[in-house]
Amino acid sequence: MKRKQLSWYKKQDPWLFLFPTIVGLIFFRVGPIISSFLISFTDWDILRDARFLALDNYKELFTSSAFYQVFGNTLAFSFIYVCGVTIFGLLLALLLNQKLKGMKFFRSAFYTPVVTSAVAVGIIWTWILSPKYGILTIVLTKMGLDSPYWLGDPSLALFTVALIQVWKMSGYYMILFLAGLQNIPESLKEAARIDGAGKFKTFTKITLPLLTPTTFFVLSISIIDSFKNFELIYAMTRGGPQNSTNTLVYDVYLNAFVYYRMGYSSALAYVLLFIVGLLTAFNFYGKKRWVQYQY
Amino acid sequence: MNKRIKILVYIPLVLVSIVMIFPFLWMVMNSFNSSANVFSIPPKIVPDLFLKPGMFSNYVSVLGEFNFGRYTLNSFIVAGGSALGQVVTCTLAGFAFAFMDFKGKNIIFATILVTIMVPVQVTIIPEFLLMMKLNWLDTYAPLIVPSVLIGSFGTFMFKEFFESIPKTMIDAGSIDGAGSFRMYFNLYLPQSHAQLATLFIIAFMNNWNDLLRPILYINTEKLQTVTMALTQFQSQYTAKWNLLLTGGVLSIIPLLIIYISLQRFIIQGIASTGTKG
Repeated sequence: MKRKQLSWYKKQDPWLFLFPTIVGLIFFRVGPIISSFLISFTDWDILRDARFLALDNYKELFTSSAFYQVFGNTLAFSFIYVCGVTIFGLLLALLLNQKLKGMKFFRSAFYTPVVTSAVAVGIIWTWILSPKYGILTIVLTKMGLDSPYWLGDPSLALFTVALIQVWKMSGYYMILFLAGLQNIPESLKEAARIDGAGKFKTFTKITLPLLTPTTFFVLSISIIDSFKNFELIYAMTRGGPQNSTNTLVYDVYLNAFVYYRMGYSSALAYVLLFIVGLLTAFNFYGKKRWVQYQY
Repeated sequence: MNKRIKILVYIPLVLVSIVMIFPFLWMVMNSFNSSANVFSIPPKIVPDLFLKPGMFSNYVSVLGEFNFGRYTLNSFIVAGGSALGQVVTCTLAGFAFAFMDFKGKNIIFATILVTIMVPVQVTIIPEFLLMMKLNWLDTYAPLIVPSVLIGSFGTFMFKEFFESIPKTMIDAGSIDGAGSFRMYFNLYLPQSHAQLATLFIIAFMNNWNDLLRPILYINTEKLQTVTMALTQFQSQYTAKWNLLLTGGVLSIIPLLIIYISLQRFIIQGIASTGTKG
């Protein structure tokens, strides 16, 4: 005999609990993702009716040299960001993972830039790096060095902005690494030490392998995060000089809301989505080659 | 640990702290400079208005003449409203995902997780159109509603947290005949103070710092958020660095106060996403 299971909730309850979430998913996630894909096949300025263009936006995009510059900028920014925050995050976490006085203070200090707005950060650094009155310029000149035009030199501006983003966000990844480090059982390191492993060997043979799940998580988040550079670019360079700091997220904004080319901008947005998806898939696919879950 | 190693750890720690904190200190110091003094070479270590009459004159003019008092209030409304709404949405959804079985549960949850990686630029054009159709342009609604209804991080966090509470609670509650809403509200929410605080703070900060939506949706000067107002100020008054930096200080003070007083919630919240995920 099949017994009817007594349930403590009514059948419609899950849907009531999920109502706001589902409305959000439909109107602000899935719906827009589909419709911007459709918009990418049109010529549309948001006021007049859209005109169907088939693949013309994508053709224009892939034959324009400006696009390749933006594409290259985007990848360069992401590369600097992912490498930068992973390395600095790990180094800072290793420094903080000592039983010494004052670690809480240092942890708070390193995390401070994370909580401040990218706009404020952009303003501070524009001031510090400014070619004549910036404190860094003045200090470098005093030391007899040539201060470069950090934000004015097209070959340097992207690197500068990416580095500032690394400066701003490293503290976040430091916290993730620190949690990972504190999850590694002390007994394992102890065992390695008893077996005669030195500090360096314990680090490379015990700590780093056991940290790989955290490292994987850090890479996943930082890849997604590396494309969120709109605020800083808007506050510091607005894509200039000579388009050298124009990335896909900024170019989507420019084309959509400055030039009112919704179709072309949507095509750009889909290239962006494709890259984020590809990098994320790559990261997940490569996971089993290097991430160790067993102790 | 011997003394030499201790020094080897402390030296880089102090140097990095300076690199992380100095820019903010420099901004604060310059906010006490007069408009002439901000451009002095070499820069003055002690700002010329510091501890003098009129010390806060930059603050007075930024808050008054340049209306930053109003912008700060706007930011509080937008960030506070979004964060409060997100807490409600995410706890409800997290509760359903943790304890209830229903058709399509896995698909909905997977959609939430997968769309985390979709940049806002991919969805912003249709969203803009929707806001236009709803006649919500130039109101707070487009700054609040999307972020209230989309709280992927919070939903995930609360699903994990509710699942970690012993199931016997549910049994005890259902014997008492409590319905699911009472169970959620009277049994589970009161146990989640720390998680509620964490989500509220993180959502508040994200919305406070958002720039794209304000510059797209807000036209009326007095509805601007403080982050947006800063960028407008920056492009209008390129040479008034003392005032711009003062505005910068004002825009981050509320965040710094929240961060300093509630940092254990923030840091634990961030740390837990890493070890559970």
